[in-house]
Amino acid sequence: MIALLPVIVILGSGVAFLIASVALVRRSERRLSTGPDEPGSSVAPGQTGAPEISAYLDRMTAELRLPAADVAEVRAELADHLRDSIASLEAEGFETERAIREALGRLGPPAELGRQLRVAHQSTRRLLAGAGGGVFAAGGGFVLGYLGGIVLAMLGFLAVSALVALLAAVGVHLPGIFGDDDGATVNSLLYATTILVATAVATRYAVRTSAGLSRRAPRTVAVFWAVAGALVFGWLAIFEMRGPQSWPSVGLELCIPVVAVAAAFVRIERPMPHVGRWAVVVSVVSLVVLVLGVYAVNVSVSSTSGSAPLSSLVVCSAPDQSTSCQPDFHLETVAPMAPAAWLPEGFPMNGGSNSFGASGASFDDQFGSGQSALSVAAILSNWTDVRFEAWHALPMNEPGPGGIDTRYSSPFAVQPAVSSGSHLTAVFHFERLRDASPWWVVLTAVGPDGHRYLLDGGQGGSSDFNGSAWDWLTAPQ
Amino acid sequence: MGGRIRTQLLKGTTTLLVLTVLRDGELYGYEIAQRISERSSGAFAPSEGSLYPALHALEADGALQASWRESDRGPRRRYYKITKTGLGMLEEHANEWATFSRGMARAVGGTNQQ
Repeated sequence: MIALLPVIVILGSGVAFLIASVALVRRSERRLSTGPDEPGSSVAPGQTGAPEISAYLDRMTAELRLPAADVAEVRAELADHLRDSIASLEAEGFETERAIREALGRLGPPAELGRQLRVAHQSTRRLLAGAGGGVFAAGGGFVLGYLGGIVLAMLGFLAVSALVALLAAVGVHLPGIFGDDDGATVNSLLYATTILVATAVATRYAVRTSAGLSRRAPRTVAVFWAVAGALVFGWLAIFEMRGPQSWPSVGLELCIPVVAVAAAFVRIERPMPHVGRWAVVVSVVSLVVLVLGVYAVNVSVSSTSGSAPLSSLVVCSAPDQSTSCQPDFHLETVAPMAPAAWLPEGFPMNGGSNSFGASGASFDDQFGSGQSALSVAAILSNWTDVRFEAWHALPMNEPGPGGIDTRYSSPFAVQPAVSSGSHLTAVFHFERLRDASPWWVVLTAVGPDGHRYLLDGGQGGSSDFNGSAWDWLTAPQ
Repeated sequence: MGGRIRTQLLKGTTTLLVLTVLRDGELYGYEIAQRISERSSGAFAPSEGSLYPALHALEADGALQASWRESDRGPRRRYYKITKTGLGMLEEHANEWATFSRGMARAVGGTNQQ
């Protein structure tokens, strides 16, 4: 129970925050629209009597630049005042037309009155309340939009999956657009969609709340929130959101600042759709079911994918090609195997190792092992330009032995092999290269005859691009 | 000439006058203007153009609370009620005005004596 206390406190705080932010938005939004039951709607512009009065109120209203409810209230209040004032003047013996002119004259120039009323409404205290309330509402809106975005993204994913399955059933196969690792890319696409929806809701909540609290017209405050939303959410989306990327997910992430601007302006006077109690319950249940489903799918996918183990992929070690070289991997595409006569006894290397992580894919070839470890400098004294080459490979999850993709005639990345005792090492940052996966890394060097030869058949694997949208856009091909 | 001087003197006193008449009960805008005029026997009648900005500014500061409701005669009107903050503001303004008017009376009286 004590262990659960932090979780209960965090969840409770989160729910309280959401309820408070929604209540704040609802309360603020009342200032933005007038319905038939609103106090300010008791006097419509057409009901103010003489055309001079309507014209005066129109000119005054044009200067107000307040939320709709405030405009309606001010207009109705002044119309009431003019009605009383005119009646009083008529009782004093003024003719109606003169009474109207006198009553309007006592209120002063309409533009000046409108300006003074605007200043009176838009106090510094209300401005600060609007700014703070806007930030608060944006936070709540982001969380709500995030939850709603997950549901929407999942539903979209299910719909697309059903469509693809349907097309496949009738014999139409769509080309793959996500690269080698569809699962990771689809996840990134769903994530970007979720942030997109969250950004739209957050910006919209911020505009409507700050307009209501600061008593400014929504379109006036929308400029500020559009800029702030585009900068903050744009920065997060383009530079800070890191993970597997693809063109579709990068495209969605680039749309996030645009969505922030659009959400601040497009139909901003329209109230947010009312979310009923049952809609919330159904959404929460759907969300839980979908999250559990996606978790189950992820577990299933991760258990069947990933880089192939090194032991199964060290395929060709010169010079004893007869025992371990497997020509099915198309290693001849790279270079001919190094002649055994040019390598001392004790070659080949004793396998190698690789590791993958945020710092890149590291390759390490060891020559000999234990006490018989061989010095690289001694072995390769007649060889120059020793390097690891990364080649495009055939997908490993497809039928067949895999190996180097023969459509390419040169490696897409090259790293000089760094010599250290009996080891040759290099690090490739496949996670920063677009379209690098799947790859195949081999060891080559220039022999005594000046030609390049294959020293190690190498190993293959796959690595997702891992970075921000900016990393993707600026990544070398 | 006398009217211009009175207008200048009235500047800054609208808040005090509004809060004073609302201390006795809720009123709507036109009634407030009438009540001020009545209480000062016509000596003070704030410009109607400055009355409403003052009312709305006091409402924004929390000194007044406004609500729409049916009036005894005629349509719905916007009634203003003084709040606790408004009562504190009234006391502050009244003290300032007393100090100012005493000083002004002494200064003007002194000038006349010379």
